[in-house]
Amino acid sequence: MTPCTSCWPGPIAAVGVGSSWAVSHNTLVVAGGVAAVGFAAGVIGCFGVLRKRALVGDAAAHATLVGVAGAFLLTGRRELGVLLAGGFVAALGAVAALVLLRRFSRTRDDAATAIVLSVSFGLGITLVSGITARGIPGGAGLEQFLLGHTAALTAADALLLAALSAGAVLTVWLGLKEATLVAFDPAFARATGWPVAFIDYVLVGLVAVMVVVGLPAAGAVLVTALVVIPPVAARQWTDRVPTMLVLSGLFGLAAGVFGVAVSAVVPRLATGPLVVLAAAFLFVCSLVAAPQRGWWSRRRRPAIDVVGPLHRREA
Amino acid sequence: MAASLLAALLPDGVGMHVWAIATAAMVAAGCGLVGTLLVVRRMSLVGDAISHAVLPGIVVAVLAGGRPGGPLVLAGAVAAALVTVWLTHLFRTEAGLAEDAGAGVAFTTLFALGVVMVTAAASRIDLDPACVLHGVLELVPFDTTPLVGVEVPRAFLTATGVFVGLAIAAAATWKLQVFTAFDPEAARAAGLPVAACTTALLAATALATVAGFEAVGAILVVALLVVPAATAELLTRRLHRIAVLAVLIGVAAAVAGYALAWRWNTSAAGMIAVVLGAGYLASVALSPDDGLVARGWNRGWFHWRVACEDRLAACWRAEESGADVTGPVAFSARLVDWLADRWLAASGRLARGPRGWALTPRGRQEADMVVRSHRLWESWLGRHADLPLDHLHPPAEWIEHHLGAEVRRRIEADVGGRGSDPHGRSIPPEP
Repeated sequence: MTPCTSCWPGPIAAVGVGSSWAVSHNTLVVAGGVAAVGFAAGVIGCFGVLRKRALVGDAAAHATLVGVAGAFLLTGRRELGVLLAGGFVAALGAVAALVLLRRFSRTRDDAATAIVLSVSFGLGITLVSGITARGIPGGAGLEQFLLGHTAALTAADALLLAALSAGAVLTVWLGLKEATLVAFDPAFARATGWPVAFIDYVLVGLVAVMVVVGLPAAGAVLVTALVVIPPVAARQWTDRVPTMLVLSGLFGLAAGVFGVAVSAVVPRLATGPLVVLAAAFLFVCSLVAAPQRGWWSRRRRPAIDVVGPLHRREA
Repeated sequence: MAASLLAALLPDGVGMHVWAIATAAMVAAGCGLVGTLLVVRRMSLVGDAISHAVLPGIVVAVLAGGRPGGPLVLAGAVAAALVTVWLTHLFRTEAGLAEDAGAGVAFTTLFALGVVMVTAAASRIDLDPACVLHGVLELVPFDTTPLVGVEVPRAFLTATGVFVGLAIAAAATWKLQVFTAFDPEAARAAGLPVAACTTALLAATALATVAGFEAVGAILVVALLVVPAATAELLTRRLHRIAVLAVLIGVAAAVAGYALAWRWNTSAAGMIAVVLGAGYLASVALSPDDGLVARGWNRGWFHWRVACEDRLAACWRAEESGADVTGPVAFSARLVDWLADRWLAASGRLARGPRGWALTPRGRQEADMVVRSHRLWESWLGRHADLPLDHLHPPAEWIEHHLGAEVRRRIEADVGGRGSDPHGRSIPPEP
């Protein structure tokens, strides 16, 4: 594989790293891993968006920092798997805190979300700063989990991320009918005897998994975009859940690959913001160009089109 | 200006801490004030979104030649905040997104844009992506500007100016704010400028955020905005008290958080958020009206009273129906009942009789009233509710603990003062 310098002349010329970059095997594996993460995050995020719980993932994401720092402090190890396991526990803790605050306090949902998000992030920052200030060996890189930095990933890390992503997608695929039912008509699902609360918890748990798996790619602050932006972009194109899932996954995949690619060329740039900007670009394109709901096609239609849909359905 | 006097008098190292604490306190005060209105108007997540989204506005203003904390930067932040809210609105009307999803798209995108701009322009501006997230309160005292002969940190001046301005604005428009917060429809119908009031709140959020941005960073500003107000809301219900309390809580957390961070050598901004969170949890537990402890205490106290009254009534009925049931056999082995018996004996309501417990005169008086409530309610149900005889007891068993003397008198008048219940047993008279 030869480096395709002609694709990225701008950034390379701008920062002057043209000399020593070659697409190594490692970079390719990492790109593949992040692509899998982007795909899975796009798929899982659909249910959060359809269920109108887009920001639960944000609270969980900010809390992961506590878990990452805590896992490092407890085990003294820096393997990605250990840190992510800590992050997962913390993300579940944040979700549990939200549920408990809703049950036991007078605070409204929006304020409770903001409280869990900001206080857990403050605790995470406190732990990471404390670790850094004490110069504990290996603790210096923990700040990379703030904004994401795929350059530090190894091939083994990427395989772990890809495996977790595949597991999450497989779970959704197995429970697609149930998840769709709960997302669109929870009251009917409950009345017909489906364990709605259980399905809900599984879906929230999957969001927590994706938020944690997305950490190395997008960082605690921005990883929520990975589970929000691709789904809302995909929603513009279709009314069918399977189509939306696949499309959202592909958007997430594209955004992930873009982030890794640019971040590999310009190592100064954190991956997270790039992934988010790529996803946002796809969202804006969807907003403008989607066939039915898009701005362009609506502009070309008469303002009130009552008869059109009827004709189309008969055709 | 107590802080500047103190800082001038103290040795250098301590003066630095005083300035950092004073800055954090001023930031917290401004955020607490704005946050009160955000929280009661259910706009906490708008505060979250704005605190992220001001970043590109700040970077553009700095690149255009603005000084951090200067008017150009403040204007850039306000513009970015309004763009965020406008985008959220646009996404809702144009793309049918729910508000949280729309805000999630808008603020993550703007924040990502800001981070990329900061990184790309790192050589030209004095901002660092990590500081943007969690601030560097410890460095605030090193960037000073002379003010009447004293070197005052610039961040402190900005934060103080913003707080004073916001406090004056809030005081001047307080009635409008209260009306808009609790009944926007009526306020609009009364011809008040509700939309302008909301826009002003968004701008105020942006100002409070940008004042705290370099000191505590984007995300911990959210803690300063939302947590003090949410804590105060648990402790009192009047809006002006919530506002004052939120400001005080914010200031106290700033001082305590800074001190703890210094003690443990870690991030002051993070520690302030942790202290705020601890304070919030404490009020969830200890709030006088509906804290967990207060609710648990009330519930426990009620159960205890019910247990005691039930024991007295059981004794009363045993004595009414004859001596055989008064024996120890009739008394269950439940721990609460066992404790209630001991307490009733110790407080002079029960005494050891020849065949188990016996009511003392005082105990009999109280048991009279419980049984009277019970049987009056059975009479009332028998007269009005058309229930079979064996269905009268359970509701009466529940309500006997809730009826007062006046209600009993009225029920007695209603059922005709017959002196006996539907089962034919006598109803003890009011003393």
